[in-house]
Amino acid sequence: MLRYMVRRILATIPVMVVVAIFVFSLLYFAPGDPAAIIAGDQATAEDIALIRESLGLDRPFLVRFGEWSWNILNGDLGTSIFTGLPITHLIAQRIEPTLSLTVLTLVFAILVAVPLGVLAAWKAGTWVDSAVMIFAVLGFSVPIFVVGYILAWLMALQLGWLPVQGYRSIGDGLWPWFRSLILPSISLGCVYIALIARITRSTVVEVLRQDYIRTARAKGLAQMPTLFIHGLRNAAVPIVTVIGIGFAMLISGTVVTESVFALPGLGRLTIDAILHRDYPVIQALVLIFSFAYVLVNLAVDLAYTLFDPRIRY
Amino acid sequence: MPATTLAATERPDLFVVRRRRSGVLGFLIGNPRITIGGGMLALVVLMAICAPLLATHDPLSLAPWLRARFPSAEHWFGTDMLGRDIYSRVIYGARVSLTVGISVAVLTSVVGLFIGLIAGYLRWADGILMRVMDGLMAIPSILLAVALMALTRGSMVNVIIAVTIADIPRMCRLVRGVVLSAREQPYVEAAVATGTRTHVIIRRHILPNTLAPMIVQATYICASAMIVEAILSFIGAGTPPTTPSWGNIMAEGRALWQIKPFIVFFPAVFLSVTVLAVNLLGDGLRDLLDPRAATRT
Amino acid sequence: MSLLEIEGLRVQFRTATGVSRAVDGLSLSVDAGQVLAIVGESGCGKSVTAMAILGLLPEGISRADGTIRFEGRDLLALTDREMQKIRGKAVSMVFQEPMTSLNPVLTVGRQIGETLRLHEGLGRRATEARALEMLRLVGIPEPERRLKQYPHELSGGMRQRVMIAMALACNPRLLIADEPTTALDVTVQAQILDLMRDLIGRTGTGMVLITHDFGVVAEMAQRVVVMYAGRKVEEAPVRDLFAAPRHPYTRALLDSMPRLTEGGEAPEELTEIPGVVPALTEPVRACTFEPRCPRASDQCRTLYPPFRECGDDHMVACWNPEPQPDAAVAEPRRQGEMKA
Repeated sequence: MLRYMVRRILATIPVMVVVAIFVFSLLYFAPGDPAAIIAGDQATAEDIALIRESLGLDRPFLVRFGEWSWNILNGDLGTSIFTGLPITHLIAQRIEPTLSLTVLTLVFAILVAVPLGVLAAWKAGTWVDSAVMIFAVLGFSVPIFVVGYILAWLMALQLGWLPVQGYRSIGDGLWPWFRSLILPSISLGCVYIALIARITRSTVVEVLRQDYIRTARAKGLAQMPTLFIHGLRNAAVPIVTVIGIGFAMLISGTVVTESVFALPGLGRLTIDAILHRDYPVIQALVLIFSFAYVLVNLAVDLAYTLFDPRIRY
Repeated sequence: MPATTLAATERPDLFVVRRRRSGVLGFLIGNPRITIGGGMLALVVLMAICAPLLATHDPLSLAPWLRARFPSAEHWFGTDMLGRDIYSRVIYGARVSLTVGISVAVLTSVVGLFIGLIAGYLRWADGILMRVMDGLMAIPSILLAVALMALTRGSMVNVIIAVTIADIPRMCRLVRGVVLSAREQPYVEAAVATGTRTHVIIRRHILPNTLAPMIVQATYICASAMIVEAILSFIGAGTPPTTPSWGNIMAEGRALWQIKPFIVFFPAVFLSVTVLAVNLLGDGLRDLLDPRAATRT
Repeated sequence: MSLLEIEGLRVQFRTATGVSRAVDGLSLSVDAGQVLAIVGESGCGKSVTAMAILGLLPEGISRADGTIRFEGRDLLALTDREMQKIRGKAVSMVFQEPMTSLNPVLTVGRQIGETLRLHEGLGRRATEARALEMLRLVGIPEPERRLKQYPHELSGGMRQRVMIAMALACNPRLLIADEPTTALDVTVQAQILDLMRDLIGRTGTGMVLITHDFGVVAEMAQRVVVMYAGRKVEEAPVRDLFAAPRHPYTRALLDSMPRLTEGGEAPEELTEIPGVVPALTEPVRACTFEPRCPRASDQCRTLYPPFRECGDDHMVACWNPEPQPDAAVAEPRRQGEMKA
């Protein structure tokens, strides 16, 4: 067990290194010259050279990568070109809405999607199954911002039940915080729910064909305990895997959701950074989001041992 | 015991089963998702091709004195912030979405097949390539595309390249998986043992196996690429704002959506329906071809 | 009143090619303490019958009619909730595949205990004690340790013992065993059969034993029903059936089994049955075994034979049954078979 955990943890290191190299070289080998962009249209060649030097852009790749990595390991993500503030500072300011949104959506999506998928599997071939699957394919097809606008228009503008836009900090009280996140979470959660419900359905359908399900029924177990005790537990590993992989979708989605609902989070920061061509900020954000993804998937790997006693390597 | 065996046949069957139709019509009835998805997609493609005939206005011509008008007989879907006819822009927008979706699907298939074959065949390359792919997969695709777009000028070609790079790992892993499992098959092992050349084995045994799951995966990638294109344009990192793409029209309407929701509404409907068509087609193909390897993620 | 009385049971499945008549008018009965064997090739409706008795036919794609009377109650007429009280309690089942019939992610103790909690309403302590007792009863060494183990940590024979412990935990009145030893090693097979015979002999449990192995039949059963293509083609006490199979299908099944002759000489030549079991989607007019039958006549091709008495307590559905052999000739042969 311990060996498995250590191995999984060690296995994330090369992935993180590849991500770091990629994110770094993305901007290093960029066709455009960041210095020229920062300097603007009227800059002379000297101005550009000066900016390049001040940013350390003239040194070789490996030196710069080494320095950059070292700084990151020491908690220094660099300085924003646009605001001149340390990026760690910017991120610290913006992380709360993003974290709230992601965690809330994750919990809400799992709570909705898994029972939905189990239901569809149990009623496979009936109209219930078809309805869930139609919902799933719609969830994949309607983009987040479309769902967002429809929900905001209906629930906030027409019915006035929920705030249209904006974020209330958790410090302002749990209820206002929660209210400000309901619509964003639902919009963001749609794709994720579709994804998880779909995999839950197909895995549970597969599991329900297994002999041990027949045994459980032959013992006199009712449908529900059979489904949830014997069925779901055996389907857990693929479901949890997809929850981990789908986390990437969730992260991508926050960028859009925060923009639609005007949440001052990391997604907004990303968009602002793109508009201002604030490369160090883009770099840092991509890196942080990717590391978050890697860590979530590490947690998923470790969770396997909880669900399946056979995993012990 | 009474002789009840014979009596059983005299009772009517417990089910009435209608035989399936055969032929093209039977196929279309038996695979409703392919029929509906393919049909809707065909309509969108037709719309894109006939855009000049269908459009009522020049999608690019500005008319600032007609800003943000509600739908009318003259402007069916209304006009946007710069007075352009939304209906015409939406019709032309189909060209952008389809071009991006199909190009990305084709490009990821070609590149993914190439890298996947190498990874599946060359042991030493496999380790390196898969680490790189793991790393690429770890970067959420929209962020990766956004980062790539931030480096270049916004153009449709750049959008296609950025989205392709972000989607390559999905195809690559699929091909590699199929190659590895195909190589374990007895008939492939037999071919290897009898000294069949590698390229012949790939052409005869490996490629036919990868084709079905690749088609399904390419369909899903096409659908997601269209969404990513719209999102990129929507957040200002996609095609240049003048291009009549659905994402751009929506980005245009963003500021006004609370009072003029129709600007966002029409492109949103067209985008959703098109993506839905492609996804339905993909699901239908998946069930038809049953390639277990293809996944949604 | 018999413990189990099935009359005119039909089970049909909806398939892509039409209605599959998996069981077509089956009747049989089992008394308390009696072991009835159902024999036939795979796909002839044996397992479907078992699932029909337990009410576990897949919903939506299958339907059943006729009557399955257990202690006087028609099981087919019961609701699922009522069936749940019977399953695992009054009627329980041992399945063919011990490797896959136990849930891989739950401990053995939990799986045995589940039945006890459900039907006996035992508490945590009592459940564990009873599960331990059951493991001991089925002869599992170190039962305390096994209780906390997962199925993948046990051998095949051990798992089948666990299945039996589970099936017998609530003292059922009827046990259905579907090929209980097919997946096991020969030496383990004998042990498991001994165990089952011993346990049901003690409690007077009735048993339906589904198998294609006449060795197992000889070992366990008092009465045999031979099924072919969803129908009963022959029924007799075990001794009579072995001594004088009347249906050509039964004869062919017996001839296709390896067995030792009396002197322990080399086995006789085995014969195989030509052809395959017919598609169950075709409507039955003529005898279904006719295409594979060496004794087929014109009559067989036109009308399905009635199930009729052909000897003392011996019934067969055949127009041209095998002749009744000379008692003197049959005797030594049967002895050999019984040992097989």
